[in-house]
Amino acid sequence: MKDLTHSGLINVAKKNTIQLFSKNKSLYIRLLNFIYFLKKIEHELESNYHPLDEMKCPVHFCHGQESVPAALNELLTKSDYLFSHHRSHGYYLSKKCPPEKLFAELYGKGTGANFGIAGSQDISYPANNFYSGAILAGSISIAVGTALSLKISKKKNIVVCGFGESATDQGVFWESLNYSSLEGLPLLYVCENNNLSVFTPQKNRQAGNSIASKADSFGIKSTQVYGNDPLKVYQEIDRAIKYIKKNKKPFLVEAYTYRVISHVGPLADDTSNMKNTKEYKFWIKNGPFDNFKKILLKKKYISNLYLAKIEKDFDKKIKQYFNFARNSKFLKIKNFSKINYCPKESNMQKKIKKISKTKISFQQKIEQVKGY
Amino acid sequence: MKKNILSFSEAINQGTMQAMKLSKDVVVMGQLVNSKHGVFGTTQNLSKMFGNNRVRDFPVSESLMTSAAIGAAIDGKRVVLVHIRIDFMYYSMDAIINWLSLWRFKSGGKSSCPVVIRAIVGKGWGNGPQHSKSTHSWFANLPGIRVGMPTNAFDAKGMIIDSIFNNDPTILIEHRSFFGLKEKVPSIPYRVKFGKCAIRLKGKDVTIVAIGFGLLDSMKAAKLLHKEKIHAEVIDVRSLWPLDISTIIKSVKKTGRLVVVDPSWKSFGAASEIISLVMEKTGKSIKNPPIKITYPDSHTPTSESLEQLFYFNDKIIYDSVKKILKK
Repeated sequence: MKDLTHSGLINVAKKNTIQLFSKNKSLYIRLLNFIYFLKKIEHELESNYHPLDEMKCPVHFCHGQESVPAALNELLTKSDYLFSHHRSHGYYLSKKCPPEKLFAELYGKGTGANFGIAGSQDISYPANNFYSGAILAGSISIAVGTALSLKISKKKNIVVCGFGESATDQGVFWESLNYSSLEGLPLLYVCENNNLSVFTPQKNRQAGNSIASKADSFGIKSTQVYGNDPLKVYQEIDRAIKYIKKNKKPFLVEAYTYRVISHVGPLADDTSNMKNTKEYKFWIKNGPFDNFKKILLKKKYISNLYLAKIEKDFDKKIKQYFNFARNSKFLKIKNFSKINYCPKESNMQKKIKKISKTKISFQQKIEQVKGY
Repeated sequence: MKKNILSFSEAINQGTMQAMKLSKDVVVMGQLVNSKHGVFGTTQNLSKMFGNNRVRDFPVSESLMTSAAIGAAIDGKRVVLVHIRIDFMYYSMDAIINWLSLWRFKSGGKSSCPVVIRAIVGKGWGNGPQHSKSTHSWFANLPGIRVGMPTNAFDAKGMIIDSIFNNDPTILIEHRSFFGLKEKVPSIPYRVKFGKCAIRLKGKDVTIVAIGFGLLDSMKAAKLLHKEKIHAEVIDVRSLWPLDISTIIKSVKKTGRLVVVDPSWKSFGAASEIISLVMEKTGKSIKNPPIKITYPDSHTPTSESLEQLFYFNDKIIYDSVKKILKK
């Protein structure tokens, strides 16, 4: 049964305690470190975003949605592709892309991952096969093509596309499910179901709750998971990747989570009275970091001293990223028309002879072709 | 150089086949590309030669299809994407406008998307409002895309080969009516460079700039005029973007008169843009106001007699030239 819902989780997760599944202490610590690092980065970026307004671009923070990126950070290799939604910072870091270039990109500087051209919602780092974009399902359908290319060339790496449940409002998502299942593509769909499209809840937009169940009807294996339990998310994504590699078929993981921040920018969605809802209170209390930290402390895998030490370390690093971004220069573009096209011919092009012919026989009768 | 007489569609077929031989990264995607008829013959036998892995039929999911081409190009493929009817391609406008055109730009030049979209435009025989739109102006308006409009078999082969191996995305607008036209075509792989017009006929009295399908009627009109000792210079735009405006300006400076023939709607289109660019540079040296010959600002009717009222022809171009000479 795939019957998780956001409101249902409030009751289920009350009893929920994070279950450690092996004695892999170092894995737990790495996951916690990543979540903590990401959470701190987002927190610091939020504090500097408003009211300072130095970044001057739309930023969608992934505050509260740290589990999926933490799992991907563990499970993906450099050659695997990751296509992210516009809430991209966690995914960017999970592909081991340089954090200082993320900061500089947000500040619009020439040292940013894309020289300040892309900003937060379009950031990419092609050297690590990381891409993002803001028009929701568009990047899912592109991920299908990359997975198709891997299949054509019989490569071993996989493609992951991370998206919110809102992307499944759009038609091309369903075309993607159909085709990836039909062709058996090495593609992991990770739906971070945070229930909201800006302010509109899923129930007001979609017939039926579960994206995972709908994927089943396309012959795509799927699972639902409480997305604020980093270990469950890790286990499910691990299982999914193994399935994809073994069976050469796509898989969909639907992780129920929540953004405890507004759709864009750091202020809570006050216009929708989000902060007063039972749901908000539950999710803010049950962020991926706090519960996980508690259990690791309880098991004595980590100590408060350790946490204080890594916090200090993260603070120092984050300060460096801010300095790097703030002290960098803006890019100067002299000719905008040039940066939209490749300045050079490809090596293949250079090898092929150019011929031009002006005399052409144009006194021919048109015969209208019909059919196909 | 060895040459064979090939039809426009055979030339596309040969160009694609040779590109696929040159590089295993070249793949073909699109509905019916591996069918017996092979999209008016343009993809015939490719699947036999290279297998269905590289020649991929698709469901009627145009939106996904264009995105899939982008995704494959990101992984290093050079994709020839066939949209058998341009009107169906409009399902993938998001993929073209929001992703394909700006992929290189937004990566800061670090990632490229070498996709060739072959978009086929119908005309006549009742193709009607949903099978005959040519929106080349829209795509030429969009930064990051090259737009090619081959008018003959020679260019069709050279332009598809150049497009396949170029690092930027290209949309080739193919007028279905051209597919049967024959030409001597070199048998070696060669390319026709983008950003260069072709002067199809030299003349001193008037410049006729023809876009895509407009060329045939323009050439017919020019022949009629020639008999009356009126020498029209006919320029085949060939590559709508990048546009070789300097060749056009040079010609208009010589003739002082400009007629633009554009197989699309009249307002806000390529004809208007070309006239504007020419006027910016020639100003008062032009002898008479330029003339646009286009389709009316209306959708295409289906019935044959209405089609004849809708489309321009050689007679209309001939009359316009007479008019611009008289003024």
